[in-house]
Amino acid sequence: MGFLLRDAGCAARGGESSSMGSTRCIRALHVGSRSPAAWFKACLASCGGGGCVAGLLMGLAVAGGPSGSPAAVEGGGTGPPRRLYVNDKRAPESIRDLLKIEEALKEAFQRVRKAAVGIDLGEGAGSGVIVSEDGLVLTAAHVSGGVDKEVTVILEDGSRVEARSLGLASDTDCAMLQIEGEGPFPHVELDREDTARLGDWVFSLGHSGGFDGERGVAVRLGRLVRVAEETIQSDCKLIGGDSGGPLFDMNGRLIGIHSRVGRSNEENMHVPIRVFLRHWEDLRAGEFLGEGPFAKRPGEGGAFLGVATADREEGGVEITDIVEGSAASEADLKVGDVILKVGGEGVEDREAFSELIGGKKPGEVIKLVVLRDEEELEIEVELGER
Amino acid sequence: MKKSWRSKWNWASVRLAAGLLALGAFSAGGQQLEGPLRLNGREVLKAFEPVRVVLQESSAVFYEGWKNINYGVVVSSDGYILAKASEVQPVEELTVRVNREHFEEVRVVATDFDWDVALLKVAAEGLEPVTWGETDGELHGTWVVTNGASSRMRRRARVGVVSANTREIRGGVVLGVVLKTDGEKLVVEKVSERSGAAEAGIKEGDLIVKAEGKELKSRQDLMDLLDDKAPRERILITLDRDGETLEVEVELKTRSKVFKELSRNQAMSGRTSDRRTYFPRVIQTDLMLSPRTTGGPLLDLHGRCLGMIIARSDRAETYAIPAEELQEVFRRLLNRGEREEGEAGEARAEGSDSAEG
Repeated sequence: MGFLLRDAGCAARGGESSSMGSTRCIRALHVGSRSPAAWFKACLASCGGGGCVAGLLMGLAVAGGPSGSPAAVEGGGTGPPRRLYVNDKRAPESIRDLLKIEEALKEAFQRVRKAAVGIDLGEGAGSGVIVSEDGLVLTAAHVSGGVDKEVTVILEDGSRVEARSLGLASDTDCAMLQIEGEGPFPHVELDREDTARLGDWVFSLGHSGGFDGERGVAVRLGRLVRVAEETIQSDCKLIGGDSGGPLFDMNGRLIGIHSRVGRSNEENMHVPIRVFLRHWEDLRAGEFLGEGPFAKRPGEGGAFLGVATADREEGGVEITDIVEGSAASEADLKVGDVILKVGGEGVEDREAFSELIGGKKPGEVIKLVVLRDEEELEIEVELGER
Repeated sequence: MKKSWRSKWNWASVRLAAGLLALGAFSAGGQQLEGPLRLNGREVLKAFEPVRVVLQESSAVFYEGWKNINYGVVVSSDGYILAKASEVQPVEELTVRVNREHFEEVRVVATDFDWDVALLKVAAEGLEPVTWGETDGELHGTWVVTNGASSRMRRRARVGVVSANTREIRGGVVLGVVLKTDGEKLVVEKVSERSGAAEAGIKEGDLIVKAEGKELKSRQDLMDLLDDKAPRERILITLDRDGETLEVEVELKTRSKVFKELSRNQAMSGRTSDRRTYFPRVIQTDLMLSPRTTGGPLLDLHGRCLGMIIARSDRAETYAIPAEELQEVFRRLLNRGEREEGEAGEARAEGSDSAEG
C-alpha cells in the first residue's frame, strides 16, 4: 500500500501485438491534432492504409463516446467547456460562490467517479484513471513500475480486469496501462488545451490504501497551489494508494495524475496531463523513458541481505535465520533482531521488507534500524548479491 | 558522491520522504499561490463567515487549565453538550467555553463506548443548540465546516468536503502478541505488556491453536477473525502450552493502545486520534484536523449540523458521526443519565431513611 510503489523486477519488454496498428491510430487521432483532416494525416503517418479508417471511426467513437459531455466532441470546434467563474476570483466571496463550487464538484464527481480505478500490483496498490472507451489507463510510473507487466485493474463495482502496462516515463512519473478485457469502459476527457491555471479549484480521486468497495473512491477538494512545467501541486489531500489517481478541473476534465506527497499535507504533487500528451506515442508503444527516479529499468536492483524473517503483529520483521557469509552476517546482525527501518523507511511486514531490499543494488550501503534486547541500534550494511 | 546521489533517489527513500526530496528538484521556479488564497487560507475562509458564526454559538471548547484540548456540540439551550469521550474523559479539571461564556462546572451525564461519545452538562440557559441537517442523500463533495484552532473569544473554521461513502469502520483490534509461524503452528514469540493477551496470561512459547473454537492455520486466519471484532469484546483462545491444552478469554484492544509502531500510511499522517477505528457509522471527510480539533459539529454551507467530528484517522481522512445517529445517541444518553440520576436519588433517599430510623 506504499505511496510510491517499486518495480517488481519484471524484465520483459516489448510484446507489441499485431492489433497495435489500429490502436496506434486512435492515439494519433487523439493527440496529434484537432482537425479531422490532420487526424487522418496523423493516422496515415503512423499506420497507413485501410485499417486506419476503422481507426478513425473508433477514434471519433472514443472521443464523442457515451459520456455525452459536450467536451467529448473535441476537434469539432466546440472548444473546452466553460470555466467555473469562481476560478477567476482571487477567492470565493460569498456562500453563493461556495455553493457554485459545490454544485460543480458534485456534478463532475458523479460523471467521472466510475473511471477512477484501483490498481492491484500483488505487492501493493495504487490508483489510475481510464481515458478511453477501450480501456487505456493513465497512472504513475512508480505504480506500474515497469513495461509489459501484468497488473489487475479494479473497477468501481469491485470487478477485477486484467491489464498490461504499456510505457512509462521514469523521470516525470507517467505511465499507461491497457485493460485487456472487452469495453466499453467508463472514461474521462483530458484537458488537452492545457487550461488549468494557478489557483484553479480542482478535485482529486483515489483509492487510498487500496481498493475498498464499502468506502468507494475518495474525493478531495483543493486549489492548484503551485504550477511548474513538469509538476503541479494542489492542496487536495493525498495518502498512500492514491498514487496514479486523477486530478480534475471543475468540469471533470483530467488535468493531472497523483505522484507524490508534499512537504506539507497541503502541497501534494501531480504530473500535469501535458507531460503525458508530450510522451503519448512512446507511452502507447511501450517505451521505457528516462533514467528514474520513479521507475528502474529491468536488471537493476536485486540486492541481497541474507536473512530469513518473520512478521510481527505490531510491524517490523524479526530475523529468524542468517545466511553464512552474507551481508547480514558481515554486519553482525543476529537471529532475534527486529528490523524496524531500512534506509530510513519504516518496515511494515516481510513483503515491504523484501521490496525495500530488492529495490537496492548490490554494493549499496544502507542503514538499518534494528531492535535488539529492547534497544534500537543503527547498523550499516553493504548489500551483497544473491 | 555519485553513489550517495543514487541512493538518495532509490525507491525506499522516495516513497515516504518523497515530497521532501522531490520538491526542490521538481517544482523550483514554478508559480505559487499565496497562503491566504489556499483552501484553508484566510481569504477563502472569509466566504464561510455565516457558517463560522454558527460554530461560534453552537460549538463548545474544552479546556484543561488554559490548554484547549477538544471541541463539543451544543445540543440544548439548557447546557447539554456532546463530546468525544476518549478525549475529554481522562481530563480531571475539565472546563468548557460556549461562545464567550466559560463554565467551570462540567458534569458527565453518561457515555457511549461504541460511538466514543460523552454527554456533558453545564448549568446554562439560552444557549443556541445546533440545527440538525440530514445526511441520507448523496453527500460526496458537500462542503463541510468544523472548528479549527480557536482563540478564547473566537471560533475559527476549517473547511473540506465529504470524501467517501458513509459506512461502518471496523478492524483495528489485536490480541497483543507477536507470532511466529512454525509450519501451520502459531507460536507466541512475545506478549505486549498493555495487551489483553498479557492480562489473560498468554505466555511466550504458547501455541495458539484455536480462536472461538475455530482452528487457526495462519496469521491470516486470526486476522480475518479479528476484523469483525470490536474493542473490549472478549474472545476464547485455545492454547497449547507444553502439550497441555488451555483455554483463556482475551479482551481485544485497539492496535494503537497496544502497539506503538505505525503502518506506513499512519507514519506519514502526523498525529491521529487514539480512538480512530470501530465506529458503527461515519461520514468520511478530507478536513485536515489534529486529534485536538475533534469533537466539534460538522456543518454544511447552510450552517446545519450534519454530524460530529469523531476521529482524525490519517493525513487524508477525518470521520464524523452522522446527525441522525448522533441524535439517537444523545437521546439514549439523556435517558440513561436521567434513569441513573433517578436511581441514585432513590438510593440517597433510602440511605437517609435508614439513618433517620
